[in-house]
Amino acid sequence: MRRVAVIGVGVTKFGKHDRTSGELFAEAAVDALADAELPPGAVQALYYGNVVGGETEHQLHTGPQAASILGIPTVPTTRFETACASSHAAFRHAVMEIAAGVSDVVLVGGGERVLNVPTAESTEYFAYASDASWEQPLGLTFPGVFALVARAHMAKYGTTEEQMAAVAVKNHKHGTMNPKAQFQKEITLETVMKSPYVADPLKLYDCCPFTDGGAAIVLASEDVARPRRRAVWVLGTAAASDSMLLGDKKDLSRVMATERAAKAAYQQAGKSPSDVNVVELHDCFTIAEIVATEGLGLFEPGAGGIAAERGDTSLGGKVPVNPSGGLKSKGHPIGATGAAQIAEIVTQLRGEAGPRQVDGARTGLTHTLGGNTATVLVSLFGRE
Amino acid sequence: MSEPVVTLKSFFEQAREGRLTGIKCGGCGEIAIPPKQFCANCGARAWQSVPLSGEGTLASYTIIRVAPAGHAADAPYAVGVVKLKEGAAIFGRIVDVPFEKLAVGLALRFRPIVVKEQTSVGFAP
Ligand SMILES: [Zn+2]
Repeated sequence: MRRVAVIGVGVTKFGKHDRTSGELFAEAAVDALADAELPPGAVQALYYGNVVGGETEHQLHTGPQAASILGIPTVPTTRFETACASSHAAFRHAVMEIAAGVSDVVLVGGGERVLNVPTAESTEYFAYASDASWEQPLGLTFPGVFALVARAHMAKYGTTEEQMAAVAVKNHKHGTMNPKAQFQKEITLETVMKSPYVADPLKLYDCCPFTDGGAAIVLASEDVARPRRRAVWVLGTAAASDSMLLGDKKDLSRVMATERAAKAAYQQAGKSPSDVNVVELHDCFTIAEIVATEGLGLFEPGAGGIAAERGDTSLGGKVPVNPSGGLKSKGHPIGATGAAQIAEIVTQLRGEAGPRQVDGARTGLTHTLGGNTATVLVSLFGRE
Repeated sequence: MSEPVVTLKSFFEQAREGRLTGIKCGGCGEIAIPPKQFCANCGARAWQSVPLSGEGTLASYTIIRVAPAGHAADAPYAVGVVKLKEGAAIFGRIVDVPFEKLAVGLALRFRPIVVKEQTSVGFAP
């Protein structure tokens, strides 16, 4: 298998936009190609993430649409849908296309638009990622899924609402250093603790926002990437799944797919959790960050909340998590999130992250989770 | 012959009558919630339909206060995962329990929730 590198990244401002998901992706892709110093004609394929285009924009077939708006209408495109992990799944398949020798330059990205519909509608569309026979008819929501995880984690380990709130405070602080973030405002523990319950024990400030945005990355084979000083190498990329039904999951306090994907990615990279200097992970809810830090092996099971409270995951801490602000503060345009996380890790490993730079970061990890914890992707990146 | 022993349609028809039906693996004895073709535990394809008692304990729960568009009129409502006596676990709406009495380990019993043509799983004390 051939080595693969990221040679260009681009991300739009996250927040509310008056442009379609296809337009947002294309804006990010222009920046990614400029960063890679490649013309659009160099792109041989597009792997694209978009989730609720059918619902919020009445738009299917978003792959060729995105390519057409960008101005590369004839390249092969495929749209990936693994709920919130869509563009990370797209990334993994694009890596395999280059590793297999099929293409030398592949564009990966995603776009999402949800703020053009009311919250009750987007809440319903996101719930489509849970089972339509068993769970949706009962009014299960996305926060509801992670509330069940939180309650199980609290019952098993004594994790507290204050520990979860510490994750929100930390990610909002990080977000103030990211000009692309949806929220660039510090919050206090009290703000989180006094916010209303959305799905007990999760409160409004435990939840990431709904977001419009786009992200893109340019992947290249070793021959193309080698002369480029700022290339960041893909050391490993793995996907794992878990049972779709909540009742079929073996232990609600864990995300087994995270543990499986992490194990495979570390193995591919020849790395262990202690080698990781910087992490962008899927904090769709504060408890999701705590459970992910445990599943990735950064902390022991049950120690994730304590670590967050102690500052281990803050910039300047033992292993900084979500220096971009994470989904919580940077925002979560679901189809674009995986690509945006990779863009942040690439920026960190290049040493170009400005005030939120993790000093001397050489190995980075991204973790993206889909919907009801049934999909997880984990990838590892490094400088030469 | 690849028709499953219990389909979603037949499960919910029985559930509407108050009967919870599981499937038991002839290979390893695993009790599962249908429909499944192969057993995820042992790989066998030897299911038998088994009646479930519907009795279990609450493994985790939440109170949904911000509901999807179609459920806004019901909010707030409790949902949770119930670990059944026979071993399988199942997600359902929890009714007739005051929110402050909800707790991991609470004993509950299956009760179907029927709204027009839609049957879904509920649990009550
Ligand atoms: Zn079996």
